[in-house]
Amino acid sequence: MAHGTATVVSDGPTGPRHTDSPIIETRDLHKHFGQVRALAGVDLSVPPGITGLVGANGAGKTTLIRLLLGLTAPTSGDVAVFGAPVSRDAAGLRAKIGYMPEGSCLPRDQTAADFVAYAAELAGIPPAEARRRASETLFLVGLHEERFRYLGDFSTGMQQRVKLAQSIVHDPGLVLLDEPASGLDPAGRDQMLEVIDRFRGFGMNVLFSSHLLDDIEQTCDWVVMLDGGRLLRSAPLDPPADGAAVSVEVFDDPLPLVAALTAAGIEVTHADRVVTAVSPTEDVFVAVRNALAASGSSIRAMGADLSSLEDVFMAATRESNG
Amino acid sequence: MADTPTIGQASAVILDRGYRSYHGPRTGRRGAMAAVVKEGYRRVLGLRRKAKRKIFPWTLIALALGSAAVLVAIEWVSSTLPISLDTSDLFPRYAGYFDFISNIALLFAAFTGPQLLVPDRTQGVLNVYFSRPLGVRDYLVAKGATFAAVILSFWLVPQLILHLGYAALSPAGFLSYLGETTDILWKVPAAALVYFTMHGSLAFLVASFVKRVGAAAAGFVAVLLGLNLVALLLQETGLAPGARWTALLAMEQHPRFVRDWIFDLDASITIPAQAGFDPEASLMVVIGCAVISVLLVGRRYRRLT
Repeated sequence: MAHGTATVVSDGPTGPRHTDSPIIETRDLHKHFGQVRALAGVDLSVPPGITGLVGANGAGKTTLIRLLLGLTAPTSGDVAVFGAPVSRDAAGLRAKIGYMPEGSCLPRDQTAADFVAYAAELAGIPPAEARRRASETLFLVGLHEERFRYLGDFSTGMQQRVKLAQSIVHDPGLVLLDEPASGLDPAGRDQMLEVIDRFRGFGMNVLFSSHLLDDIEQTCDWVVMLDGGRLLRSAPLDPPADGAAVSVEVFDDPLPLVAALTAAGIEVTHADRVVTAVSPTEDVFVAVRNALAASGSSIRAMGADLSSLEDVFMAATRESNG
Repeated sequence: MADTPTIGQASAVILDRGYRSYHGPRTGRRGAMAAVVKEGYRRVLGLRRKAKRKIFPWTLIALALGSAAVLVAIEWVSSTLPISLDTSDLFPRYAGYFDFISNIALLFAAFTGPQLLVPDRTQGVLNVYFSRPLGVRDYLVAKGATFAAVILSFWLVPQLILHLGYAALSPAGFLSYLGETTDILWKVPAAALVYFTMHGSLAFLVASFVKRVGAAAAGFVAVLLGLNLVALLLQETGLAPGARWTALLAMEQHPRFVRDWIFDLDASITIPAQAGFDPEASLMVVIGCAVISVLLVGRRYRRLT
């Protein structure tokens, strides 16, 4: 997993690119559609880099993206992108933002080169430059050879790449990607994530919505978790240090093992019969072995903690739901 | 000996620059709207599209331009005949030319309006438009401007060919003819504008609700001609309460009535005229249709986004 630390402050034509200031901020953000609560009191501060936006269907991911684009107004609360309130100049901000929608957005009767150039012109790039940038962007996403083919003849994977190309052709400071790997085979997904990872090199910040948590883990520096319109977590996505955590699944009551580990000064969490022990200083395997012996617990499985983003998400959801 | 660059080295150019940041000028909303207009033109004319997409619009354009050229040719042939022949009574000029190509123009409007609106909506391209510095109003204004430019060109370019052709063949001379017919310079565009306002507003209205280009085109023609038929039947039978007012349903007839008013012609054969309405009433219907259409299309697109 890549971890970018941005330190250079520079306000280019597309807004702050490398800065320590948050790229996205929301304060007590609410959005209701009639009786349906899409977002409820979301306070968010997203730093520069690649951020994953995680949540089940209906969690409020797309609503949040639409609020960031200024396409819908919040019921209450504030949204700011690059430090500027979206409500002040939504159209001006959209010139600095790229958006890749989840669904189809490609006209079947245009060539890839024409459409991506058109997308650049729509964002204010002059026509001649738009054509040049379309060619360069299609090269970046691996469609240089196919750029003069009609979009209606493209495979799903190629269409996803064109969608990605149109979202970055105007050199945005922030790119909002809604399920970019949707519908792709594993190889296509890897290629897509690889391209997104390269955006760091161009100084682009990315908010990347996905329900595929592996994709988020593979690509993002920061993760925002939503559930039922509420913010569960907004935090850096740090990998556990090797050997720092061990998970044990026991056959019976996990509490004696938890007590033994706690008595040994080990940080412990447990969910159902899975106990996770964490210690940055001690050898956790030795501590767990000793605690198992002391508690007399029978183990079903044991291993280095492979706690995935999915575990974190599920734990956060459980915690949120009490 | 110093190294001397060969011709090949000296003229070497890096063709692929790779993706780079952009620090040049940005054209903003106006540039975005100009792009929508340009792309709209390409779409309705089938430019930068597959060959089959060009067949229908260019066939209609060829028919419109060809008919004007044929009329000029007939004028030229008749001018070479030993007998004096007044072709203005035999063949349509200016006002009459509107009737001459009205069916072709109707088909062209039926095709163009949906082409401008339907694919963007059904193929999800609106997501791209509205993620750019472009609002719903900007989008619809740009599309409307494209529609107006295309349809008005369709009406006016053949009229220009006619006008210049007749001027060139005029016994009084080219400039004298142009001087004597200066009223044409406002009457023809004014009539074309009335036709566009009626056809355009209905075509846009139908296209903003129907999901297929073909169905929208057929729906537009059906609405226009169907209402004519309904109005005619109700007028003939006189059965409906307030039957006279139903003459105002004859949408296809209003532009004709107004056009004849503009050209000072007898318009007694149009349905609204037969029901005793003045051309001003037809003009109000045309304007009313445009206003209602703008409101409904605007509302529809605001809801969509």
